[in-house]
Amino acid sequence: MFDYIRAKSIDEAVALLNDPHCVSRPLAGGTDVLVQVRHGPPSFQRLVDISRVPEMKIIEQRGDEIYIGAAVTYTEIIESRLLQETATCLVEASRLVGGPAIANAGTLGGNVANAAACADGTPPLVCLDAVAHIRSLNGWRAAPVAELITGPHQTALHRGELITHFTFPILPSSARSVFLKLGRRNAQAIARLNVAAAGGLGADGRINFARVVPGSTLSHLRRFVEVETLLIGEAPSTELCETAGAEAGRVMVEATGRRWSTEYKEIALHGLVACALRRVFHLEN
Amino acid sequence: MLIQLTVNGETIAVEAPPDITLLDLLRDYLNLTGTKEGCAVGECGACSVIMDGRLVNSCLVLAPQADGSEIVTIEGIHAPDGGPNDLQQNFIDYGAVQCGICIPGMIMAGEALLMHNPHPTRQEIRMALAGNLCRCTGYQQIVDAIEATAKQRQGEMG
Ligand SMILES: Cc1cc2nc3c(=O)[nH]c(=O)nc-3n(C[C@H](O)[C@H](O)[C@H](O)COP(=O)(O)OP(=O)(O)OC[C@H]3O[C@@H](n4cnc5c(N)ncnc54)[C@H](O)[C@@H]3O)c2cc1C
Ligand code: FES
Ligand code: FES
Repeated sequence: MFDYIRAKSIDEAVALLNDPHCVSRPLAGGTDVLVQVRHGPPSFQRLVDISRVPEMKIIEQRGDEIYIGAAVTYTEIIESRLLQETATCLVEASRLVGGPAIANAGTLGGNVANAAACADGTPPLVCLDAVAHIRSLNGWRAAPVAELITGPHQTALHRGELITHFTFPILPSSARSVFLKLGRRNAQAIARLNVAAAGGLGADGRINFARVVPGSTLSHLRRFVEVETLLIGEAPSTELCETAGAEAGRVMVEATGRRWSTEYKEIALHGLVACALRRVFHLEN
Repeated sequence: MLIQLTVNGETIAVEAPPDITLLDLLRDYLNLTGTKEGCAVGECGACSVIMDGRLVNSCLVLAPQADGSEIVTIEGIHAPDGGPNDLQQNFIDYGAVQCGICIPGMIMAGEALLMHNPHPTRQEIRMALAGNLCRCTGYQQIVDAIEATAKQRQGEMG
């Protein structure tokens, strides 16, 4: 048994989440939380519905940053002109989340707070160097998504805190970002591996901007700076993309050690990263 | 708690516990049993309904979350005379129905697609059905029926 209440504003949501008489959790799209309550007794007494808080549904440009409310759904991301132009990797990832019904309900804030290792929303956010903005009774704090997510289903969010929105700096004008996912099938499939990547070239035709973030790979989601460093200063080529893919595999194996799945994952990650970079640098025919 | 919503054009107020799903509200409190329960965890699409113009899995919507919303269920899809509408007739004509358990959800997914995209490609139809599982038909006939309906509706509009 649990109770339900709908918040109309961020202030009201935070007050309700911190009600000392009632253990409360945010409810956004419900696509993780309502599955969890099917599998076991809830760890809360009340769900505070934040899915209709207007301030948390905003997608807009503010100066040289993009602002995305935490209650924005995948469908709203897919349909946003601004995000199609400035956050291709996030739009592509959103297109691959669940089927349409899941995309219509599931939110970016829910994806980050749930912090599944196989999540599709989180690698693009890390690739874009996104910052989560968090409200509590103590006021505001900001944390890079890469630091907020500390492990599989683990975050540095405290009880009573609410992610209100994300911001990220607009990529350099030469840069482009992509997202690829390897699942058992295209849609409604949990990713076995995924990768968000971005890159751009300087006036000399050499790579001056690179980001590579494989998901479902390490216990801690992060940019593969080892791979990024290898790319910077080079002219893009299919061989370079292969080398970068191999390096991504090496970094993964170094961090996780060899396990039963490594034989598959190493080759798959190599291929996925190489393919993503070929798309980033327009080397796909 | 009191939940007020519009279901198939009718405004309804119903007293129900706050922790049941929209699926249970429809089936057990409003006797609208056309919406089916398959997996109850968002994976099969048998419980698909249209909420405020968007396809959702009613097993993953909390009943009070639908307060103030407009819901269309399979009972709301029919011809003016109460018989099958064009999409439903095409499902019959194209042999897209076998055991039938998935069909209310398939029809809702098809209607939701045609609402937002009246000219879908076959690939777009397949993607629109990505969350709807069918154990019987192999999907081809379902895609055929939606494709035929899209073409017929375009013809009528053009
Ligand atoms: C059939 C199916 C397929 C799926 N496919 C995919 C997929 O392909 N890729 C993928 O990444 N995920 C997938 N998911 C998982 C899920 O849809 C996503 O993780 C989604 O983004 C969760 O968002 P939500 O709004 O539904 O979260 P909810 O279920 O509402 O909430 C999830 C958790 O986050 C907390 N929370 C929500 N919002 C906030 C906030 N603003 N601040 C703080 N805490 C918050 C909640 O309290 C809860 O603990 C799938 C789920 C299902 C059922
Ligand atoms: S019963 Fe809702 S998706 Fe299966
Ligand atoms: S007709 Fe039997 S599951 Fe689709």
